[in-house]
Amino acid sequence: MRLHPFTPFLLVLATALLAVLLPAPLGPVALLVVVMLVAVATGAWRAAGAAILLSVPLWIFLLLLHGAMRGGEGWQAAVAQGARLTAIIAASLLAYRAFRPARFLDAAASRGWSSGSALLILATLQAAPRLRARAARILEAQRSRGLRVRGRPLGRIGALAPVALPLILQTLGEVDARAMALETRAVGGGRRTALENVRLRWPDHVLLAAAALAVVAAFCWRALW
Amino acid sequence: MGFVVNQLGLPVYLDSTGTVLVAALAGPGAGVLAGVVSQLVRSLYEGFVWLPFGLIQVLIALMAVLAASRGGFRTLWRSAGWGIATGLVAGLLSSLISYFIFKGVTATGVTAVTTLLAGLGLSREAAVTTASVGTDLVDKLLVFLLVGAALRGLPARMMSRYPLGARATGP
Repeated sequence: MRLHPFTPFLLVLATALLAVLLPAPLGPVALLVVVMLVAVATGAWRAAGAAILLSVPLWIFLLLLHGAMRGGEGWQAAVAQGARLTAIIAASLLAYRAFRPARFLDAAASRGWSSGSALLILATLQAAPRLRARAARILEAQRSRGLRVRGRPLGRIGALAPVALPLILQTLGEVDARAMALETRAVGGGRRTALENVRLRWPDHVLLAAAALAVVAAFCWRALW
Repeated sequence: MGFVVNQLGLPVYLDSTGTVLVAALAGPGAGVLAGVVSQLVRSLYEGFVWLPFGLIQVLIALMAVLAASRGGFRTLWRSAGWGIATGLVAGLLSSLISYFIFKGVTATGVTAVTTLLAGLGLSREAAVTTASVGTDLVDKLLVFLLVGAALRGLPARMMSRYPLGARATGP
């Protein structure tokens, strides 16, 4: 089942709202269980594992700061907050797993969004691994010239400029070249049409209606009881 | 920048370097956009749970524009002063978000300091505020120093396309 590119992100929003609205600590814990079951059911083991890894430090500090130091209700507060954060992180990583940049761009164009805003996010996403590789190359080059990246903290702070400055200046040069290339292709020169017309289909409607219903029900429950 | 910081084993983030650079070169609109987009993209990898900290990026962008319009990147000392001022303001806002939304538990480094201070007997409010302001002071000081050095090192041909950037480093 291929969902509309916006659906996973709307489901993350619903998860975040439910995490806050559902009564603690059982509500957030139940929500976390549901999100993890969805991850397992959709075969997203890696996303579930990454969410757990990202959440482990949060759980440790929550249990220390709230549970061990306050005791009593502090433990409940720690479990509730940990479950909230882990559920939202897991839902986000699941959404990212389903994220297809090209399809997202088509969907944004179908909705009449400006191509500039969608392109901005996609360009940033594509730039991240390239910049990382460039940073690694610069770091290696500076080390081969004798730069010390280990030792005293002040020495390591001193090593920041020889690595970060070339990275910043090279990136600015690249941005300059890209801006000119986009200008020559008339980006921002008027409304564009999508290659593929991506529409919301019945699974999207069902999932979004269920999520909206759950949020409204949780809100009414909290407001009335 | 996160990769560089990790490789050097520094206890800072420097994640607002792009925001400060863009804001100082291209003004408030572009700076705020750069901050929000970088936070959005980071949230894709690490979870949308950290999205409230996008507010800090907006604040940092506005502080960077203010610094640039007053020649705040002209010298190393001016950059340091604006970095400290931004760190103070960003740290205070960050501590509010951290305390009220995240109950004092956010990124590992700053939370470790919070836990240590709370263990030493400080109240949770005081521990969160001290840790947030302390880490942000060092972080933004380094960011402003780096961006100042980068702006002063930009070729005149490139700088001529950014009037605000020219004012940030000019006489």
